[in-house]
Amino acid sequence: MTELALDIRGISKRYAAHVAVHDLSLAVPRGAVYGLLGPNGAGKTTTIRMILNIIGPDEGTITVLGRSNRDSAVLDRLGYLPEERGLYKKMVVRDVLLFLAELKGVDRKTANSRISEWLERLSLKTAEKDWGKAKVEELSRGMQQKAQFIGTLLHDPDLVILDEPFSGLDPINAQALKDTVVELKKRGKTVIFSTHLMDNAERLCDSVCIIARGDKVLDGTVASVRAENAGRTVALALEGGPSAAVMAVLQDRTLVERADDNNRYFEVELTPQGDSQLLLRRVIDAGARVQRFERVQPSLHQIFLQRVGATGVEEGMSGHG
Amino acid sequence: MGKLLAVIRREYIERVRNKWFIVVTVLGPLFFAVVMVLPAFLSIRGIKNAKVSDIRIVDATGVGLGARVDERLKRPPRDGRPAAKLPIVTIDTVAGADLAHAESLLVADVVAKRLTGFLVLDTLTVQSGKAHYAGRNASNVGENERLESAMRGAILGYRLEHAGLGASVADTITALRTDLATERISDTGKSGSAVAGMIFGLVIAMFLYISIILYGQAILRGVLEEKTTRVAEVIVASVKPDILLAGKVIGVGAVGLTQFGIWILSGAFFWGQRMRLMGAMANGALPAEATANMNFVLPTISPFTIVALLIFFVLGYTFYASLFAAVGAMVGSQEEANQAVQPVMMMLIFSVIFVQPVMMNPTGMLAIVLSRLPFSAPIIMPLRMTATQVSALEVIAVLAGLLLACFGSIWLSARIYRVGLLMYGKRPSLRELARWIRQS
Repeated sequence: MTELALDIRGISKRYAAHVAVHDLSLAVPRGAVYGLLGPNGAGKTTTIRMILNIIGPDEGTITVLGRSNRDSAVLDRLGYLPEERGLYKKMVVRDVLLFLAELKGVDRKTANSRISEWLERLSLKTAEKDWGKAKVEELSRGMQQKAQFIGTLLHDPDLVILDEPFSGLDPINAQALKDTVVELKKRGKTVIFSTHLMDNAERLCDSVCIIARGDKVLDGTVASVRAENAGRTVALALEGGPSAAVMAVLQDRTLVERADDNNRYFEVELTPQGDSQLLLRRVIDAGARVQRFERVQPSLHQIFLQRVGATGVEEGMSGHG
Repeated sequence: MGKLLAVIRREYIERVRNKWFIVVTVLGPLFFAVVMVLPAFLSIRGIKNAKVSDIRIVDATGVGLGARVDERLKRPPRDGRPAAKLPIVTIDTVAGADLAHAESLLVADVVAKRLTGFLVLDTLTVQSGKAHYAGRNASNVGENERLESAMRGAILGYRLEHAGLGASVADTITALRTDLATERISDTGKSGSAVAGMIFGLVIAMFLYISIILYGQAILRGVLEEKTTRVAEVIVASVKPDILLAGKVIGVGAVGLTQFGIWILSGAFFWGQRMRLMGAMANGALPAEATANMNFVLPTISPFTIVALLIFFVLGYTFYASLFAAVGAMVGSQEEANQAVQPVMMMLIFSVIFVQPVMMNPTGMLAIVLSRLPFSAPIIMPLRMTATQVSALEVIAVLAGLLLACFGSIWLSARIYRVGLLMYGKRPSLRELARWIRQS
């Protein structure tokens, strides 16, 4: 038994027009909840597809649960929820799920009992209505997503890979998904998910990796990432909105690198030579009444903006996610 | 192996459960039954309602030719089989001078629907065999033939008797009827009716053509569905695309064989029961003409031919099905598919437009070449085999070539399929397609 659920070494993938992933290395420990963060087009989906051996990397090796991912037996230990979700519309939900389980090598009897279990758990099977007997096309979008999520987990995988799992989920289903992820972790499973929603990642993940334009920007535990990027961020809360004079202070580029403006609450990142005490004095001089002024560890969102930048988000918008 | 079975089972069960499959499979045999029984049934009705039964013969010959024609019309057909309803014929014997007047009266009768028609015989009829018939059923070929044959016999009989032969001798001579039956002879000496063999070959060729198109298109739609609903990505994360492709081709092929099986069995059943069915429809009375229509001999087919036909279907289907699958993986919508499928359809249509020339001349150069080319062999070779004798060695060689072509098309399609299944956006150009094939 190796300690790593996933060990990626130096993988690259080039397409005709662009490099989707460049010399990427990742190590995901067993039992971790791991976030793969990056803007659209950063290479997240390409990386995930390479992990699942759907496409092969041009260079590098991928080891999953201690074995090469070219070993087809190891793929049966993986659960995958793709970003673009869909099921056979005309098929009965139970039949689709049975089919997906069979493709992972689960026998029909075991699969059937697990399907019933999961359908009840995610309230697709209630006293009034058993959606398992309905056709996929009769289900609402949210219910279809739940059904597909069940399909991802029926073979009780050791490593679960979720590509943008929160996109398109309503708050209730999003909560159900988070609960399931936490429970999987408690049962010793490893969960890797990609997202561009930093709040979710910050709350759920043990470790993260931020990639942009096919390159790894940073990785590590959420705590260490935040600690490494700490020190220059100040949380500032004001009574009432900021006056023009206060805004002028926040836009002084000799003092402030960037200010994340939430109207009455700001996350301010100081320039390397910027002094927090000077900032406080100038804000008060500008006539503001300060409710809170605190040196904080930045949020992942903050770190993401700081390290990837708005330009990275825009430039990366092409081709594969 | 278990995964391949899972893919095959899904393809098979979902398609067999589909209501269209059930409708087509049930209606197919009904259609066969109608095709087999209807022509005979219509001919019964035609005979029953034959208007020959109320005609009038205007006899101005002065030698009683009208009575002879009447007698022959009422004679049973050959072999002593029961005749259709006996015609009710009235004979008006008139003098040559009154003919015009008699005719105009009869025309009025026909117009007033008191009479179907009338046959005019005069002295010219006895000399040169010329007569004329006027009536509502003047364009009915069968009835005209019947009248004409009765007339010919009557005139001949009259002439022979006139030449001094006894009435019974004359009758024996004029009762002669010719009937040319054609037979196809093959190397093994087994034979069948040539026309039946040709029809059988044509049916087989068209059947193969239509089923390859129908099931090929079904595969194309299936692949396209998986691609557009994005199910494909989940599946290829579990099984190799090649297994998915193979499972699809096998599953859909099994659906096709199931359908044929049901059709063949029910077709055989209806064929065996055709007389009873006909009898039921005709209310018991089964006229001889109807039985004759039903009784053409089915061509004798050797077990080798049957096995070869089956292999031609399986290989032809596999060859085209994998190409259809590749097209499905290349495109993003049904509209695009309709365009991109053209090259594949062209190969099929190219084969089928030569069906008629090959059928007309199954030993010609065109037939030989087309029956050997892998893409047209699945349609043309079965046709050639049923129309003429093809050596077993040649059939096996062509099958081997087709098998090789199958491997080629599967290899090519699997590569396009693997890459195309996860490519969204615009349709690939030929150059991009070539890169996909190299890439995977």
